[in-house]
Amino acid sequence: MTILNASNEVGAVRPDYRHAYPLLIAVVLGVTAALFVRHSLVPKSFGRYGFYRADALDDEKARLSRHAGRAACAECHEDVAALHARDAHGSVECETCHGVGDKHIKDNDAPMARADAKDDCLVCHGLLDARPGSFPQVDWRQHYRFVGVKDNATACVRCHSGHEPLYLEQDLRKARLHPLIQECASCHIGRTDRTLKKPDAHPQIFQCDYCHHDLAKSFARGAHAELRCTTCHLFVKENAFSGRIVRNTNPRFCLLCHRKADFKSESGPPTIEWPGHIKDVSNDALDPKRPCVTCHQAQIHELYRKDAQHAM
Amino acid sequence: MPCDDRISRRQMIKRLAAGAPVALLVTVFPRLAFGGDRKPGEKRPLYAYAVDVSRCIGCCACMRACRAENDVPAGFFRTWVERFRVRGNGEVLVDVAATDGFVFKAAPDEDIVKAFFVPKLCNHCEKSVCSQVCPVGASYESPEGVVLVDKKHCVGCGYCVQACPYGTRFIDPVSHTAGKCTLCYHRIVRGELPACVLACPKGARMFGDLHDPKSHLSIFLRQRRYRVLKPEMGTHPKCYYTDLDLEVI
Repeated sequence: MTILNASNEVGAVRPDYRHAYPLLIAVVLGVTAALFVRHSLVPKSFGRYGFYRADALDDEKARLSRHAGRAACAECHEDVAALHARDAHGSVECETCHGVGDKHIKDNDAPMARADAKDDCLVCHGLLDARPGSFPQVDWRQHYRFVGVKDNATACVRCHSGHEPLYLEQDLRKARLHPLIQECASCHIGRTDRTLKKPDAHPQIFQCDYCHHDLAKSFARGAHAELRCTTCHLFVKENAFSGRIVRNTNPRFCLLCHRKADFKSESGPPTIEWPGHIKDVSNDALDPKRPCVTCHQAQIHELYRKDAQHAM
Repeated sequence: MPCDDRISRRQMIKRLAAGAPVALLVTVFPRLAFGGDRKPGEKRPLYAYAVDVSRCIGCCACMRACRAENDVPAGFFRTWVERFRVRGNGEVLVDVAATDGFVFKAAPDEDIVKAFFVPKLCNHCEKSVCSQVCPVGASYESPEGVVLVDKKHCVGCGYCVQACPYGTRFIDPVSHTAGKCTLCYHRIVRGELPACVLACPKGARMFGDLHDPKSHLSIFLRQRRYRVLKPEMGTHPKCYYTDLDLEVI
C-alpha cells in the first residue's frame, strides 16, 4: 500500500521502460521464430495420441504379413493339411518347416523350402537336458543303432513322414483321456538307465504298471521288452494331471521299425518286405491296412500268447 | 525511487494463481493440452503376451519365424530363447540359442539337476523406460499398449538400448535406428497372431487382448499363477510368465 501511495504523489517520476523495448522486440521475434521452426519441423500428427508421431503407427500397419498361416495352405493343399492335422505334428505350422508362404500364395510357382534333413528334425527332437521329458526327443546315434540304420547321414524322413511322423490312426486331440503317466524319462532326460537306483527322497511317480501290472509284467518278458509302453500307446501330456492316450495299430507304424530298407542292416529288429509280406504268409487277399496285431498280437504281450496257446 | 514499480505480494499471489491451471494443464495433463482423439466410450484393445515356460521345448521356431517376418539382421534378435541349467552345487549356466536352435550334444551333462528354456522378448511395459528416455519422441507406446519405434524419427542415439532393463533393444546396423519387437503390430491390427505365437508348436507363447475377458490370454491369466520379469524395476511389464524359476527373475 505504501508503494502505491508513493507513486500517486504529485511530481513522482513515471518509470522509464524505453531501454526494455529492444529486448521485448527481440523476445517476441525470437518466440515467433521458434514457433515457426517448431511448426515446420515437428510433424503434423505429433502429439495426437502422446509424445510421438501418430503417423508412425500407419507406417507400421502398412507392412505386409509374410506368414500366411495353415488355413491359407489348406485352401490348396487340403489333403496334406488334413493328414497333417491329425498326427503328432498337428500343432506344428506348415511354415515352420516350409518357410514363409507369402510369395508362394501370390505366385504358385515360387518354390517353398523343404526342411527334411536330419539336422532340421533334430532342432526340435534332439536330446537336450532342458527339454521337458514329456516331449519326444531322440539321441539319434542310439536310435540309429537300435533300428539298424547303417548310414549316419540317413534322413529321418526315410521312415517318418514329416506330415504323419507316427502314422496315428486316431486324431490325437480327440483321443481318450488318461491320467498323467510319469516314467523315469519324463523327468530324467538322457538318463533313463533302468539300473539307476531310486534315492530315498524320490517323489512318487505314476507308472503304467501301477494299474496294468499283469500286462506290464508279461510285456517285460516279451520280444518288445526294450520298448516303453508309451512307444505304442502314445501318451501326450495335456496338463499337470492328464493327457491323451492313443494305441497305434496302424501297420505303417509297426513298419517304422520292421520294414526292409536298403539303409538298414540286419542288426536291427527283424524286417519284412512290404506289402509283399502278406502275400508270402497268406494266400488270402489280406487288406494291407489290416493291423499287424491281427496275427502278431502274441508277440507283443506275452499274456495274450499264453491265452492263445491255451485256446489252441 | 528506482524500485517503485514493484508489484505487491497480494498481486503476485493473484497472478500465480491465475497462471497455475495453464501450467498444470501443460505439464500434468499433456494429453488434454495437446489433444487426443480418443472418443468417450471407445474401447481400445490392450495387447499383452504370456509365456508358459514349462511348455517351451527350445526348438527356436519363434526366433526363425521372427527373423523371416521382420527382416531382423543377422546377429541380432527381437526374441530369443535362453537355456538355464542348474548344477548340483547351485551354479547356474545360461546360454542363448543361435537362430537354428540349441546344439545337440551326444552326452548330456551328468551334474545338471534342473534345466529349462525361457523365451524372451520385449515386455511391452506399461511404464516403458525406453519411451521415457527417448529424446526425440521416436520410441512410444501405441494406444493398444504396444511399445514401438518410429524409424523415421529415431536418431539412433542408443539411449533406449541402455535404458531397457530386459536388454530387448539393439541398434539396427542397416537402418542405424533402434530395433525391437513390435509384437508384429502389422499382423495383430489385421487380426492375425504375432509370427512367434503362430510358429510355436507347443503353445508356449500366447498373445491376446487384456480388455477382452474372453480372449485366450485373459482366460489363461485367470487360470494360472504368473509373474513378470524384474518387477522391482517398476516398469509394469505386460509379458507374463508362468512356471518361472527364481534364477530367471
